Amino acid sequence: MNKNKYRHFGIPLVIPFMKPYRKRILLMVFLGILSSLIDSVYPLFNRYVLDNIIISKTLATLPSVILLYIALLLFQVWDNYFTTYTCSRLELWMDRDLRNKAFTHLQTLSFSYFNRHNVGYIHSRIMSDTGRIGELVSWRLMDIVWNLSYIICVILVMLFTNIKLALVIILLIPLAVAVIVFFQKKLIPLNRRVREINSTITGDYNEGITGIHTIKTLVAEDRMNSGFRADTSEMEKTSVRTAHHSSLFKSSMTFISYFALALVLWQGGKLTIENLMFIGTLSVFMTYALDILEPIQNTINTISVLITIQVNIERLINLLNTESDVKDSKEVIEKYGDIFSPKYENWEELEGDIEFRNVSFIYPDGNEYVLKNFNLKIPYGTNIAIVGETGAGKSTLVNLVCRFYEPTKGQILIDGRDARERSQSWLHHHLGYVLQTPHLFTGTIRENLIYGKPDATDEDIMNALKTVFAEDIVNRMEDGLDSDIGEGGNMLSTGERQLLSFARAILADPKILVLDEATSSIDTMTEKKIQNAIAALIKGRTSFVIAHRLSTVVDADIILAVKDGKIAEKGTHKELMDLKGYYYELYTSQYIDSLKDI
Amino acid sequence: MLFYFLKGSKRYFGLSLFFAACVSLLDLFFPRIIAYTVDNVINNLNTGGNRIIIYFASLFGGSLYLRKHLYLVAVMVLIVAILAVLSRYFFKFLNSKGAERFIKRMRDELYEHILKLPMTWHNTNHTGDIIQRCTSDIDTVKNFVSEQLTNFIQVVVMIIIAIAFMATINPALTVVAMILMPVILVYSIVFHNKIAESFYHVDNMEGKLSSIAQENLTGVRVVRAFGRELYEKKRFESMNEEYISTWTRLMRLLSEFWALGDLVTGLQILLIIATGSFFCVRGYMTAGEYIAFIAYNSMLSWPIRMLGRVISDMGKAGISIDRIMYIMNSIVEPPLYTNKLENRSALLAKAATDLSPSEVTEIMKKDIVFDHVSFSYDNETKVLDDISFRAPAGSTTGILGGTGSGKTTLMELLDRIYDLDNSNGRISVGGVDINQIDRSLLRQNIGMVLQEPFLFSGTLRENISISAAYPNNDEIERAVRIASLNKAISEFSNGYETYVGERGVTLSGGQKQRTAIAQMLIRNTPVMIFDDSLSAVDPETDLKIRKALNDLNSPSTKFIISHRISTIMNSDMILVLDKGRIIESGTHKELLENNGRYKRIFDLQRSGGEVLNE
Repeated sequence: MNKNKYRHFGIPLVIPFMKPYRKRILLMVFLGILSSLIDSVYPLFNRYVLDNIIISKTLATLPSVILLYIALLLFQVWDNYFTTYTCSRLELWMDRDLRNKAFTHLQTLSFSYFNRHNVGYIHSRIMSDTGRIGELVSWRLMDIVWNLSYIICVILVMLFTNIKLALVIILLIPLAVAVIVFFQKKLIPLNRRVREINSTITGDYNEGITGIHTIKTLVAEDRMNSGFRADTSEMEKTSVRTAHHSSLFKSSMTFISYFALALVLWQGGKLTIENLMFIGTLSVFMTYALDILEPIQNTINTISVLITIQVNIERLINLLNTESDVKDSKEVIEKYGDIFSPKYENWEELEGDIEFRNVSFIYPDGNEYVLKNFNLKIPYGTNIAIVGETGAGKSTLVNLVCRFYEPTKGQILIDGRDARERSQSWLHHHLGYVLQTPHLFTGTIRENLIYGKPDATDEDIMNALKTVFAEDIVNRMEDGLDSDIGEGGNMLSTGERQLLSFARAILADPKILVLDEATSSIDTMTEKKIQNAIAALIKGRTSFVIAHRLSTVVDADIILAVKDGKIAEKGTHKELMDLKGYYYELYTSQYIDSLKDI
Repeated sequence: MLFYFLKGSKRYFGLSLFFAACVSLLDLFFPRIIAYTVDNVINNLNTGGNRIIIYFASLFGGSLYLRKHLYLVAVMVLIVAILAVLSRYFFKFLNSKGAERFIKRMRDELYEHILKLPMTWHNTNHTGDIIQRCTSDIDTVKNFVSEQLTNFIQVVVMIIIAIAFMATINPALTVVAMILMPVILVYSIVFHNKIAESFYHVDNMEGKLSSIAQENLTGVRVVRAFGRELYEKKRFESMNEEYISTWTRLMRLLSEFWALGDLVTGLQILLIIATGSFFCVRGYMTAGEYIAFIAYNSMLSWPIRMLGRVISDMGKAGISIDRIMYIMNSIVEPPLYTNKLENRSALLAKAATDLSPSEVTEIMKKDIVFDHVSFSYDNETKVLDDISFRAPAGSTTGILGGTGSGKTTLMELLDRIYDLDNSNGRISVGGVDINQIDRSLLRQNIGMVLQEPFLFSGTLRENISISAAYPNNDEIERAVRIASLNKAISEFSNGYETYVGERGVTLSGGQKQRTAIAQMLIRNTPVMIFDDSLSAVDPETDLKIRKALNDLNSPSTKFIISHRISTIMNSDMILVLDKGRIIESGTHKELLENNGRYKRIFDLQRSGGEVLNE
């Protein structure tokens, strides 16, 4: 089935995206053919001049030849200008459309997609696959059209001029094709290998520079150097081999051209001496003999490029065909709108009561139930702490509440109604999420803070900052709220970034708040500050905290202890301590040693 | 300095240039053969022609004999063709061989140099910028030596020979044929220089668009949770539109440039056709010579059009070389300390000290003394201020302090990651100033686990044994056990052969730290430093590792940095650092009795545990 889907280099899959531009494409192809036609008849000017002016020794027709030449030249220049400009615009339009389409589609995909593919992979789909496909439908298309039509025109002109000489040249074409294919088979894998080693070398530099501290402390300089030298030697060896083949390739092609020239001189010369042909015709054939190989080479090159672009097409189309696991039903979209056109007027307020009713759940890529018939009522304002070891599956519950995943069985009720009865945007608009490693966007503090509430006033912003004890971050900066925080906020410390992401969540004033506490080491004083900020943050909201800090856990209304992906225990701190089970074990192991020597 | 990199590749470039000249000469010979064949052989004129070609033809029996045996003309062409083709092969191949060797040398030297540059240099230069210099700037230079430079020389040689050949045929027509050449050349150079800025602009925009996409993907949870998909879509689309329209403007300029080039080239051909045919009719020239002129022109027109671009690209190569030389000219860490810049190169030459490796190892087993040590990165704010303490041989020193208290710097001075100027105090081991110990030898005897350790691309085994001289499996397994990494390794399907690093499995922060501990343990150094190296490990494992380390009974002198009191409270001595000063020191017990900062932090950290005491 797959073979069928991707035949003809996958080009049929791209055609729908070319539809809006089909008139331009047709015009471009038409003008391209015209241009190659004109190019192929230029040598005929020489023929006319040689036979009818030089040999006949009369200048009478020269002015009209010049005029015709100029007319043709001007048309040709305009034609070439128009085709190249149209071609580049077509490429850019396709780039733009595909990129927008891919980006937009990614905004609708569910989390399982992002868990399956890393960011680098997805990023290449948006940024480079689209570019390659744009190139395919513009320049590569023109290459094929122009070169093929040039070859055909030249062959026709030759056949009409002198069949015998034409056949001499045409018979060399298969030989040339064989040579090109032979060398391409050798060169394609070699070039790929060179690119691979090149990226290894880039990786080496990256490692040497970002890992410099470690290298110095480990005194690993010599080992790093010899590893690097092994890679550059491999590069030199492979590149030189590539150079050998490509030089041999170029030389062979040149030789075939000269071989054609020799044949034309011999056979054509004979015909000319016998007066069966004029000098002008001989000169035309010599020009064609030297010129016809390049378009053949170009055509074959382009075909080999098409083969490589196939992969890009396949990957991009796969992305566009991926459907979200979490989808709003038709009725829901009709009433509440989709994520790009929400119908705010139909949105109800969200109170914050949540109920898990007989929820069972398997991750899309998993094979075991991580929740089975789980029931939990969470009235508005409840604070839930989720504890457990790293990798135990603490975020499952949160993923379900946020509708990043849907329950496999059962339902989640929000304010007494199944979550699926209302749109994802509606839910997300009432939701705040604070990540373990705070994610800030490149830009100013203000831009980051108003992310969840674009119409926030300065006063709102400052109040939010005060609530989480972060106003001094802003006061310290020269441009206040409009200070640039660098790429991903890298001009701020981890603690500061955390506080700002709290302020961002507060400003959005969500009814439901999800907080993934950071484990990263922050000194004790800053930590105290963050604890206070968290307390302020969860006040008056239904909150889920993936907890690492004891104070958060102890004060929680409900604690869920997660072990091996499943909820092992549920209750208040006191209840669970009395139970002396898994939670007790977790809790005491963390603090027992700090008490033992007192 | 560029010549320094040319070592070992010069002869290839020299030979390649010789063959480049051969290629030009032989290629330009073909139109002469054609002209001779048309005039002397086919048209049976005895107009003379070029002496070389007449001599060459006479080897084949002269024009009359050739007229009867025309296949010999084909043989003549093929002989020249074989020579031309061989020259072309050697020209291209030797040129690439030279370029590859040149670039290898450049890359190797650059890499080695970067590893030797001091930490202060690495801190002040941006990683992305250095990597760019090592990759795209190197590529630019490579392109320059392997393509542009030789192409430029070959084209120039070709133009000179072509003009000489044409002038012997007909000087007047040569002038006509060449009259537009300077125009094309100058126009092309000016245009390419002008457009370079637009390319830079476009690259910038692409970078912006790319980072919008990148941030959207890494922050996908934030985008979703705040319901900002529409905003993101609009932001991306508007940047995309801006990027595309800038490109479109650039492409328009380029298309105009190409079209104008076509026009001028076409006019040049027309000039030759018109003037040439006029000369022929008037009898100043023969038909064969006319054909030769047309051939010369078509051989020259494309290279000349490209020449302008090559010349303007050469400017870029100059900039890239400067950017690479900036790194090469930065001064590397001297093995011994000196504060005189001019003496550094002399000291570099004298690589080793008087102390042998085994002597250094013996020294490192002794007491470590910090004597009134102050330090500043920028000569303004003091990171360390008058630090004095003694760490007796085999003791454990705990260091507690907040972010920015200078605790990491203190240890980096001991490892000579940064050099302590002798006017700012002294660090000595066994009575020897560490500035007098060869830097590599010193570091070989200090094991330091960083808070955020770096794993290299390779297997876990390779990473753990990276700086062990002769690692054996027993040692590796023992180190892994102590570092509590054995369970994690057994969970990987490939065990020790699990590929980690940038392109491998992503380890958690705690796993990385534990790998680094194993990596240090295997080295068995007399001094061990744990720089907050258990911070990402859960407390349970933290305890387990510390117990295992304790049970080791290793004679090494240990330093443990942490802000978890539980991690350091069993140390022989604890230093409490604040803003670069030691504010408290003593054992856990003494410090608690002191009722100072240490006690306050202890209480804060214990507060969650009060429930247990109820």
